[in-house]
Amino acid sequence: MVKGNWALFEEDFWAINTILQSLIQTSSSKSVMLIDKTGQLISSIGEPPGFDVTQGTNESMYLSLIANRVILVVLFDRKTSLGLVRLKARRGGEELLSVLNKLFDKLQYKNEEISAATLGAEFTAEAESEIDSLFKE
Amino acid sequence: MSLINYSSREINCKIVYYGPGLCGKTTNLQHIYSRVPQETRGKMISLATEMDRTLFFDFLPLELGQIRGFRTRFHLYTVPGQVYYNASRKLILKGVDGIVFVADSQIDRFEANVESYMNMLDNLTEHDLNLERIPFVMQYNKRDLPRVVPVDDLERELNPRKAPYFEAVALRGTGVFDTLKVACKLVLKTLG
Ligand SMILES: Nc1nc2c(ncn2[C@@H]2O[C@H](COP(=O)(O)OP(=O)(O)OP(=O)(O)O)[C@@H](O)[C@H]2O)c(=O)[nH]1
Ligand SMILES: [Mg+2]
Repeated sequence: MVKGNWALFEEDFWAINTILQSLIQTSSSKSVMLIDKTGQLISSIGEPPGFDVTQGTNESMYLSLIANRVILVVLFDRKTSLGLVRLKARRGGEELLSVLNKLFDKLQYKNEEISAATLGAEFTAEAESEIDSLFKE
Repeated sequence: MSLINYSSREINCKIVYYGPGLCGKTTNLQHIYSRVPQETRGKMISLATEMDRTLFFDFLPLELGQIRGFRTRFHLYTVPGQVYYNASRKLILKGVDGIVFVADSQIDRFEANVESYMNMLDNLTEHDLNLERIPFVMQYNKRDLPRVVPVDDLERELNPRKAPYFEAVALRGTGVFDTLKVACKLVLKTLG
């Protein structure tokens, strides 16, 4: 397993987005997201998740774990059914699994290279001054 | 474990607010949400019970904008402080880049702070993480209340590693941004 930072390459990003796009269309869902198990958003398609997931909304959520480290989230409402969402999510999940497995292989190989490419002192300085100007009373 | 995405050029860092039930974690995030510019903040997501106790987590994304070509964000999470939600706490700690521990300064809550701190160390250990290697900031909250533990005593018990600490009254916003800023800067240091 790859530890530390993880990076997406452009080709994988598009492959993932294509799968999510097709999932949202064929299942008539509202939005589909792929989230790393640590809570990092990898990609999202459809209506931005305006979810104040409190009581009383008509939205439902379907979750499934892929490759034991990525969570596929499908938000849907009464326009579709759980059965259809589950079916399409399974199919999409299988496609994602094959893209992700290839990605993990690549990462294992490239990870050293990536972590060596540090962001540098200028990045830190600029980010710090942005923090000072935005995070205040 | 920050997610640096080189193709879309994004950096996302995860900061978790930890601490015992009712210590003021959600209040910290609410204050931040109410004061940062609208373009900086995303939607705050709160999964709460009717009594306003955090059920799973609160989530507030903050966006610094483009820094040297990277869209840079901090994702703030709070854990539910109530003892029986440990599974959620453990899950939320996964992949954490920085931790703010919010302690409740009230004398009656002293034990609860210690318990929560120990619980945090246990949960970190389960993820193979070590507090010594994680950017960490301590916040002594509710300093406005009459019966509070002196800061020196809190320091001795909860902050043996002498991480930066701030006294706070989160309800009024005092100390909230000082805490956040130092936490974010410590996290950035680990990236740079
Ligand atoms: N007097 C005083 N009250 C505070 C302060 N900060 C928070 N509170 C109050 O403490 C109560 C609990 O605050 P929350 O922010 O919901 O606590 P929490 O840590 O998120 O609690 P859980 O979600 O159960 O873990 C609320 O009634 C707040 O208004 C403070 O600095 N001073
Ligand atoms: Mg809370």
